[in-house]
Amino acid sequence: MEYVRGKQDLPPPGGFETVKYKRSLPLKGPSGAVIFGTILAISGWGFYKLGQGNLEMRELEREKIWSRINIVPALMAENDRDIYRRERAAMARESEIMKDVKGWQVGQSVYNGKRYNTPSMYVL
Amino acid sequence: MADHREAVLNSKEYIEPSPMPKDVPHVDELGATSAPLKSASFFIGDRCKEFNDDFMLCKQGSANPGDCLKEGRKVTRCASSVINDINKHCFNQFKSHFDCLEFNNQYLFPCRNQERSLNECVAASLNLHKNIPGSPENQPQIHEKTDPIHKRIQH
Repeated sequence: MEYVRGKQDLPPPGGFETVKYKRSLPLKGPSGAVIFGTILAISGWGFYKLGQGNLEMRELEREKIWSRINIVPALMAENDRDIYRRERAAMARESEIMKDVKGWQVGQSVYNGKRYNTPSMYVL
Repeated sequence: MADHREAVLNSKEYIEPSPMPKDVPHVDELGATSAPLKSASFFIGDRCKEFNDDFMLCKQGSANPGDCLKEGRKVTRCASSVINDINKHCFNQFKSHFDCLEFNNQYLFPCRNQERSLNECVAASLNLHKNIPGSPENQPQIHEKTDPIHKRIQH
């Protein structure tokens, strides 16, 4: 029996091209450390500004309170004069109405004490 | 004011027609509304500190409105002298500042530009200075800060 000698399977002339085993993924961006650091830096700046803003808020509050403290005496004095005028008028009316009642003390407090009380009733 | 009630009835509006008795010396009331008062408050506090402290001491001693009328008149005269002087010397700056306060919910921080020119004018012509007691020392007070964090966002 005659053997037919087959053609041997051989690499192409020049050899096979190299196997592409290297991963070809898109660029990943900055490393974790860089991202973490950036976030820390931004947060740190923000917290610093927040702290500064809180200190400023405290000073704004102080400014507002002192602007009121400065004018409270003037407002109180004006209100006091008004209350005093009304009280004197009320007493004049009271003495006119009660002039026939013996032993009536005009403007006597209903409380037994020397402490001043804002009148709770007015005779119109 | 904590220990003060208005001398009016709550249920019915009542205007007392009788004038102030003759034995109480007359004093012109301030007649300024809230924004001008707020704008001028630190100058009132600067010039009238003694009168204010006197009056508040008197009020601490007695809550009766009849007891501190004399001190109260001094307070009112002093405060109106400040308002009148500002009106006389720095009216334009004063008006622009209290107008700004009116338009900004009476917050002081959006009106720093107007306030700065008012303060300069008042310091130059009346020698009254804005000073906030209790502010941290060795740094500019809040109204002197050139680049504050809290400022008007829209202009």
